[in-house]
Amino acid sequence: MSNRIGVYVCHCGTNIASMVDCKAVAEYAATLPGVALSRDYKYMCSDPGQTLIQQDIKEHKLDRIIVSACSPLLHEHTFRNATRQGGINEFFFQMVNIREHDAWVHTDRAKATEKAKDLIRAAVHRVPFHKPLEKKTVPIKPDVLIVGGGIAGIHAALTLANAGKKVYLVERDATIGGHMAKFDKTFPTLDCAACILTPKMSTVKTHPNITMWTYSDVTKVEGFVGNYKVTVRRNPRYIIEELCVGCSECVEACVFKEPKFPDEFNLGLGKRKPVFLPFPQATPLVAVIDPETCIQLKTGKCKKTCVEACGDRKAIDFSQKAEEKEIEVGTIILSTGFKIFDAKRIPYYGYGTYSNVFTALDIERLVNASGPTGGELVLRNGQKPKSVAIVHCVGSRDENTNKYCSRVCCMYSLKLAHLVKERTGAEVYNFYIDMRTPGKGFEEFYSKVSGEGVHMIRGKVADVFLENPADKSGRMIVQAEDTLLNIMRKVPVDMVVLGVGLEAQADANDVRRQFNISCSTEGWFLERHPKLAPVNTFTDGIFLAGCCQGPKDIPDTVAQAGAAAAEALALIDAGSVELEPNTAFVVEQECSGCKTCIPMCPYTAISRNEDKKIAVINEALCKGCGTCVAACPSGAIKQNLFEDDEIFEEINGVLAHV
Amino acid sequence: MADKPTFREEIAGVLHASTGNPLDVCMQCGTCSATCPVASGGFMDNSPRRIIAMINAGLKERVLKSNTYWYCASCYHCTVRCPRGIDIAELMYGLKRYTVWHAKTQEGMIGPVFSETFVKMIVRTGRSYEPVLATSYLFTLGVPEMIQEAQTATSLMLKGRLPLLPARIKRLDNFKKVLKRIIPLGDPDE
Repeated sequence: MSNRIGVYVCHCGTNIASMVDCKAVAEYAATLPGVALSRDYKYMCSDPGQTLIQQDIKEHKLDRIIVSACSPLLHEHTFRNATRQGGINEFFFQMVNIREHDAWVHTDRAKATEKAKDLIRAAVHRVPFHKPLEKKTVPIKPDVLIVGGGIAGIHAALTLANAGKKVYLVERDATIGGHMAKFDKTFPTLDCAACILTPKMSTVKTHPNITMWTYSDVTKVEGFVGNYKVTVRRNPRYIIEELCVGCSECVEACVFKEPKFPDEFNLGLGKRKPVFLPFPQATPLVAVIDPETCIQLKTGKCKKTCVEACGDRKAIDFSQKAEEKEIEVGTIILSTGFKIFDAKRIPYYGYGTYSNVFTALDIERLVNASGPTGGELVLRNGQKPKSVAIVHCVGSRDENTNKYCSRVCCMYSLKLAHLVKERTGAEVYNFYIDMRTPGKGFEEFYSKVSGEGVHMIRGKVADVFLENPADKSGRMIVQAEDTLLNIMRKVPVDMVVLGVGLEAQADANDVRRQFNISCSTEGWFLERHPKLAPVNTFTDGIFLAGCCQGPKDIPDTVAQAGAAAAEALALIDAGSVELEPNTAFVVEQECSGCKTCIPMCPYTAISRNEDKKIAVINEALCKGCGTCVAACPSGAIKQNLFEDDEIFEEINGVLAHV
Repeated sequence: MADKPTFREEIAGVLHASTGNPLDVCMQCGTCSATCPVASGGFMDNSPRRIIAMINAGLKERVLKSNTYWYCASCYHCTVRCPRGIDIAELMYGLKRYTVWHAKTQEGMIGPVFSETFVKMIVRTGRSYEPVLATSYLFTLGVPEMIQEAQTATSLMLKGRLPLLPARIKRLDNFKKVLKRIIPLGDPDE
């Protein structure tokens, strides 16, 4: 069988041509066996470049096409299309990367040109073994799962639900709202966080297209794009959600007359009872019973005054058990958010040791009207602080903790400086390294806060120590170098606020594994492309929104949530998705049914057909990684586009002159 | 032939064996200065942060005139806390070596005299000998302080805490061979 191969050498402007003699490469390719036509061209990806391929296929009766240009990641798709439009199967096309693998990484033009020839020769050897393949299409189920009910999850859920799609919103806490529900004001406009968030929360609750499951975890995810099967565990809150009206009478009636347990929503700054409502606008407004502190659940010996108070509503159920729900969805949006940096990791700032050192999130609760002090910003002894230091970059921009900038701390520190000044009239000192205010209206806000008489000191705080070492709740000295004045500053203050950075959730790695996506080293979920696919993941049909992908502020989070919703909608409305045919397949006669491949498959795509006693690969799940092909002891598994003939000939080709 | 290295490159060269990051990554946050017990006590004429800025700006003469590194107490607080992972304490040693090698040490400073006496003594005998080391800087003190130091020395000597004769280590030749390999000063005997 002799082929008629067409070879095209792209200049990519000067990207390739400056380091590779494209004309010489094309002339060389023409001399190779089977090559019927060889050209060099300035931009193969341009419209005329693609038309060239189509015309040549017809005029010169080409049956194999090789384009040596950039990475297949960028233009394989383009040239496959051109090949198909020329009238031959698109998998008769092979791409050779002479840009990233050659021109961009070498400095010797003559040698780089030789390398380009080698790479093309490898492809010329390979393509005769290419087989015509067809792309498979799979249908997309229209329902969407959103994991995490913060502002990102809420916004994405509402966008999709308003478009008529059915959404499951799963939240781990007892209420949706996430971190935003804990904030007092939002920068730079100083909107009240609750005023803009709670209407969206209640819309989620009442929206006919949204199924909201709070106090729930995703326990199992199976399937592939368009066809995910997800198990959600609904943890027992010991209150029947449908029957509770959120009247709080059980809370009033609890045998504990006074709240005495640290309140999680207020970060332990306030107290709650064993039965409680997280906060007044909690959604759903349903009480929760904490099994760790409730006497009935711990010992079974309680007067159960709460049940009495609930009366005929009968919403309290001490025998409630976790319930597993199985759902089928086509797409998934992860909006699992962040956790704040644990300030105790920097012991010299005194958090947890000195009583008047707080994190910024603590202060958000203290200045919040629904917080533990009713919005009074006070020290532990109940007095108003006369001087407050705000320390920027705590757990950010530091090789000892996190190297990255957390992006929101400068702005929220300025916001807190404004709020502290407004509520207490205290002297406020902001210690910063660099003031980063790059958003819309941010610099104006910085200027406004500076104009309010807040002291800005350029220098990272190196130490916080007690004025009187015996009095841990007394005044503290904050020490930093004022790098602009070139003097040491030792500022005595009543309160220290730590501008803690953002970190990936503690269980981000488990979630990553569960959904089969990637993480950066810091634990942030990895987007498919930092610029051009910022909400996609490497797993089709799973999208990212909000801080689980990296630190960001509310406007950016909402924008990303909208984008993730749009990506999901695009898939749903397309109805089906095409899958790359580079999947593995089992040659039935040769399979011994040894099951070696089954545990090896990272995508759980292989199962065993017990009747035939052989392995079966689910093409929709197979990602074409080749692990099973290499693992099979009888050589019974082959992979489309990477069959032995193709690979060995490619190697022969690249080494032909050695 | 390569261009003559800039001051900044020379200092980078002095630091080549340090485990820290290069000085170029300094973001001038001042953590080193504010944690430094000497700098925050006001003894250094330039804070460690400023020294790094001056090196990066190539202000060689001003760096060499500074007393900063001679006052470094080697507590390594700066190195531990530096958010950019620069080994600042090692830099201070590097600058000491640089000024000694280039014979650029300042007149009237105890540090260089003390260090030089100490190193020479170690090279010669393998052990430190306080009576000689102390006298190397004793004369820079005032008369009352000198008398007080002498009194302390006498009582130490009476209790047998200060040797009368300098001690020597065994196999000094081997030790000198080691030094010859690690100190690029040539033969210590020269």
